[in-house]
Amino acid sequence: MEFGFTEEQQEVKELARKILSEQVNAERLAVYDEYQAPRFDEVLWRQLVNAGLPGVAVEQRYGGMGFGFMELALIIEEVGRSIAPVPVISYCVSALLPIQRFASETMKETVLPAAVAGELLLTAALSEHLNEDPVDPLAVTARVEGDALVLSGTKTAVPFAAQAQGILLAARTDAGVAVVLLDPKSPGVHLNELQVTSFEPQCELVLEAVRVPAGDIISRNDGARIMQWLAERTTASICVHQLGAADCAMRMAASYTSERKQFDVPIATFQAVGHRMADCYVDIECLRLTSFQAVSLLDSDVNATTEVQIAKIWAGDTGHRVSYATQHVHGGTGIDRDYPLWRYCLWLRQNEMTLGCSAVHLARLGNRLAAGEALFT
Amino acid sequence: MNIQFTEKQLALRDELRAYFGQLMTPELVAECERDMGEGGGPLWREALRQMGRDGWIGVGWPEAWGGRGMTPLEQFVFVEEIMRAGYPFPFLTTESVGPMLAEHGNDWIKRELVPKILKGDLLVAIGYSEPGAGTDLASLKTSAVRDGDDWVINGQKMWTSLAHFCDYTWLAVRTDPDAPKKHKGISMFLVPNSDPGWSCTPVHTLGGVRTNATYYDNIRVSNDHLVGELHCGWKLITGQLNRERLSLINFGPVSQLFNQVVRWARSAQLPAGGSVIDQPWVQQNLARCRALIECMKLIVYKQSWAMTEGVLEMADASAAKVYGSEKFIEIFRLLGEVYGQAGLLRAGSPQATAEGGRLERLYRTASIITFGGGANEIQRDIISAAGLWMPRASR
Repeated sequence: MEFGFTEEQQEVKELARKILSEQVNAERLAVYDEYQAPRFDEVLWRQLVNAGLPGVAVEQRYGGMGFGFMELALIIEEVGRSIAPVPVISYCVSALLPIQRFASETMKETVLPAAVAGELLLTAALSEHLNEDPVDPLAVTARVEGDALVLSGTKTAVPFAAQAQGILLAARTDAGVAVVLLDPKSPGVHLNELQVTSFEPQCELVLEAVRVPAGDIISRNDGARIMQWLAERTTASICVHQLGAADCAMRMAASYTSERKQFDVPIATFQAVGHRMADCYVDIECLRLTSFQAVSLLDSDVNATTEVQIAKIWAGDTGHRVSYATQHVHGGTGIDRDYPLWRYCLWLRQNEMTLGCSAVHLARLGNRLAAGEALFT
Repeated sequence: MNIQFTEKQLALRDELRAYFGQLMTPELVAECERDMGEGGGPLWREALRQMGRDGWIGVGWPEAWGGRGMTPLEQFVFVEEIMRAGYPFPFLTTESVGPMLAEHGNDWIKRELVPKILKGDLLVAIGYSEPGAGTDLASLKTSAVRDGDDWVINGQKMWTSLAHFCDYTWLAVRTDPDAPKKHKGISMFLVPNSDPGWSCTPVHTLGGVRTNATYYDNIRVSNDHLVGELHCGWKLITGQLNRERLSLINFGPVSQLFNQVVRWARSAQLPAGGSVIDQPWVQQNLARCRALIECMKLIVYKQSWAMTEGVLEMADASAAKVYGSEKFIEIFRLLGEVYGQAGLLRAGSPQATAEGGRLERLYRTASIITFGGGANEIQRDIISAAGLWMPRASR
């Protein structure tokens, strides 16, 4: 039993925090508000790439740092704390990790070194309209044509699709689920930009008989397990991103209420305020423990389906409660766009609803309990 | 980060599970049920002595004090197994007051009383609260006045649980009524419940559990009965409460209860067809409980780990108390809903299932934990001040 982090893990986390806290501030984030520009800070991204952070979980022979998912999660927590405009989850987790784990040696050698060097941006399309289960694609189908696959259908809410050179996605086949790395320049690919609550660049991805050559196919029919693997890691990553964002919002509110005076005293001295913040503290501790439990199990390649579902339930509930509590104790300041809190609240909502909200995961967990799974050992 | 027990800890768990499996005879189980999970009966006492003979009391005490020197993590395994077995272990005596006596007691206490605790022969009740001193404990009025070499104690205590079968009371008294700050004039005494000046009247609580009002009428004790330094009792009280808080939250029994409810809901058939668990709202309730209990498990694991490493933060200890106490109540409610009307059947009712009867009692009795062991409002004050550096209003 060990709840602490190794020295190396702390160093990775501190390096990320240092770069992000120096480079991200309200002023730099403001340029992306209301989609004035795609929310992707390429200068910051280049700095992170130069520090080796996006490749932290990529093997050294492909140019990465050779650490694991735990180290990557610690970076993601810091990205959440700063709500930095970088594609860390969609790129490093949803795309790089499954390619490293499941792709052919040829694809790995082509893709990973360039991706780690920041020359190639990748993402993954995990959602379909009214279908938030990445493991079970319904809207996008694939048929066999020679040794290629031809894909049709629509994915939605694809992060950084317009910026990426490769999009990992799953399609239903006659015999199972195929997983491919799609070149968005292929004929028949259409990207329709979406505007979402957090200002993250997202697209609807429409596929009209798009031919995917054999070399870009990761799995022809056995993709469900790949999607399960990557969906759990992506979900756990969203949870730690939520943790970083919620923790920052809470500390902002604690500082604000300690300074803000009404009736000649800091409003933090009112128990009603202090107790609301204490509830945030407890909620965030719960999110921290459940998220890092999930990360730790995934990092050791242990089955973590239950633990990931539980972490996402906490991510949804904690995000919602912390968002509204911190805005409330800030009064009008919390909704003032010149004060940094409001963007955090947008992200707490974004993460809450991405890859299944609390209710969805409760329903899935409840289903599994009904089937006699997920009991305590 | 690695949230798994070591092989050695798992071996300890298996050893304990087998041990308690043998100890808990059907007769003892029945006696404990009758005594509302509090113990005190003859079979219970004999089992405690047996545990003392087998070296299972004071597992976390240093070896120099006659204990086994287990780390908090190993103690956690011990507590979990004992709770799972359903034995009402006298934690307040063995894990909370006992170690305070072993550490701060004088020679007489260490020689005469501490070994008896380790043998299961001596039980101690806690006398802190008074009719006028609850959350503001330092305003207590029970007094000890010096008379020659002795002390004469007078006053009344409230909520002196277990006192009716304990041998001593760990008593907080005022020894310096003129101290500039009221918590500076308090000392700790060990008062024999056998003294003619000691008496108690039962207080029956909504859960059916008996607690007591205790009375101290000119009780004369020697200076040997003073624990720690004169007027320095407050430190011992807070030290004891920190130990007590940790033993309040146990996820072992509730996870076991959860499993039983799930199994029941899978097998119980609805008259209209299908089983209870086929209903979406039942699945929702159970999933919610599963998530709440998982987090409770992580909180107590982390606390035990932090204590083993010596890095327990005050705010986290309070957060554990707030979370554990309030979520227990929520969990009992959600699980009770699954039983519906049957969840109102008391254990004595022949129609009640074993776990249904337990749930009925647990839900009814759980209200004590949000204010017992330090009211949750005080815990939230500690969290916002120690965890978030927020200023606090003066009291």
